[in-house]
Amino acid sequence: VPRTGFSAQTLSVLAALTADPASWRHGYVLARETGLRSGTLYPILIRLAERGLVEACWEDGQPAGRPRRHLYRLTSGGLAAARAALDAQAARQRQAAAAGGPRVAVRGT
Amino acid sequence: MMGDRLMAVLAGLLRRAARLLPADRQGWAEALLAETGEVPARAGRLAWLLGGLWLVGREAVLGPAIRALAFAAGATALARISWPGPATDSAVPLNRVYLVGTVLILAVLPTVIRRYVGPVRRGWAPRTLRIAGYAAVLAMVAAKAVKGRIGSQLGAYFVVVPGIWAMEILLLLVIGAYVAALLILTTRRVQLTRWGLPAAMALGVITAAALYPLAPFGVSVDPDSPSLPWWWLAALLLPVAAGALVARLAAREKRPGSLHPVAQGALGAACAMATAAMLIALVTSVAIALFPHRIPLQNPGPPANGGCETCDPNQTIIPVRFRHQYYVDLSIGQSGDAPFAALFIMPILGAGLGAFAAGVATQPRRRDPAPSCPPGLEASDA
Repeated sequence: VPRTGFSAQTLSVLAALTADPASWRHGYVLARETGLRSGTLYPILIRLAERGLVEACWEDGQPAGRPRRHLYRLTSGGLAAARAALDAQAARQRQAAAAGGPRVAVRGT
Repeated sequence: MMGDRLMAVLAGLLRRAARLLPADRQGWAEALLAETGEVPARAGRLAWLLGGLWLVGREAVLGPAIRALAFAAGATALARISWPGPATDSAVPLNRVYLVGTVLILAVLPTVIRRYVGPVRRGWAPRTLRIAGYAAVLAMVAAKAVKGRIGSQLGAYFVVVPGIWAMEILLLLVIGAYVAALLILTTRRVQLTRWGLPAAMALGVITAAALYPLAPFGVSVDPDSPSLPWWWLAALLLPVAAGALVARLAAREKRPGSLHPVAQGALGAACAMATAAMLIALVTSVAIALFPHRIPLQNPGPPANGGCETCDPNQTIIPVRFRHQYYVDLSIGQSGDAPFAALFIMPILGAGLGAFAAGVATQPRRRDPAPSCPPGLEASDA
């Protein structure tokens, strides 16, 4: 089974974004779903955006009582890469379980 | 209320610190700040803002600090290798000028290129390419210094005349041009086809790997040298192959703002030739610096009467006891000069041949003209 090339934390972000790929998410929701701290989550989002796997935009209009949010979702290439990486990760886990090895959990899967 | 004040201070600090980030990343810190209000508990908000400060520290300080430390380590290693040497060794002043010139080139050019051309392209590949290029230049200059020092131990008989100084300064400028080209080609402004540059450089690496074993201590320009035809063949085939390949890739993947396929072909061929020339010059100089005793002695040797070819004036006669060492030093000092000369010529030759090959490769295929109706058989309305 090939390695995914993503860290466990990045896989958890990809898993959270893959759950509903059409909808835009904001940072705190992703942090809550993945259990990652902001100092870990945002560098991951930056790298994913730089690789063209995630697209980001600012919320339209000025909402009442709070600042505009920065929103994220997977690009079509990102969705394909995320699904391939998560499938590979799942296969690795199955293989490790069959061999009696440790299991690395990815939150959000 | 103490907690609210602390939160406001941290948010203000993060807002100010975000200015340290590159312009295209400042929005990410703003995004993180905008989310702070979403975090329900005060401790959670505090952790969120501290995470933001960590993000800025990591992106704005840690990365540049690691790069600066790595560069300082490389420059220090170069200084330790290049600077020392006895006053009697005529290569020592030249080595010191090279050391200062190389460090200046490597330190100043990124700032100049960033200001006038733009920042580095996103992704790991351009950065890796820059790091590899810097490491290659540092290693090549260090090896050249060792080779020069070993080859000029009898300094009185290896005088660095103004002509040699001029050639050496020209070579330093060529190295500067290589560094500038590497930095420019890895900026965001230069739009090349995705696989064009990696493919051209891979061809250059393969060519260097195939050619280097033919002359491990530098190719001889002697016309009787058995390996010479292979070098000429590679010098013609590599740019033609690289130019045609890159131009075809560029023609297939048309992106807005990208260079014309023929221009990309010429650039690709120049890069392939520059990569091959640089690698051969690097490995040759390292081999000479590490194994100077294995270098074949020059043929023909110096004049039998002890005449000194490298003295000024050259009527000097070398005492008998120094003649063998002079012969060995001369052979070491002059070996590996051809690859350095190739550094200058090859990219120019590559660009010319590559442009020609790219033009041929991207010409539309000639189609047979559409059959025309014979006279008298024109279609009628009937």
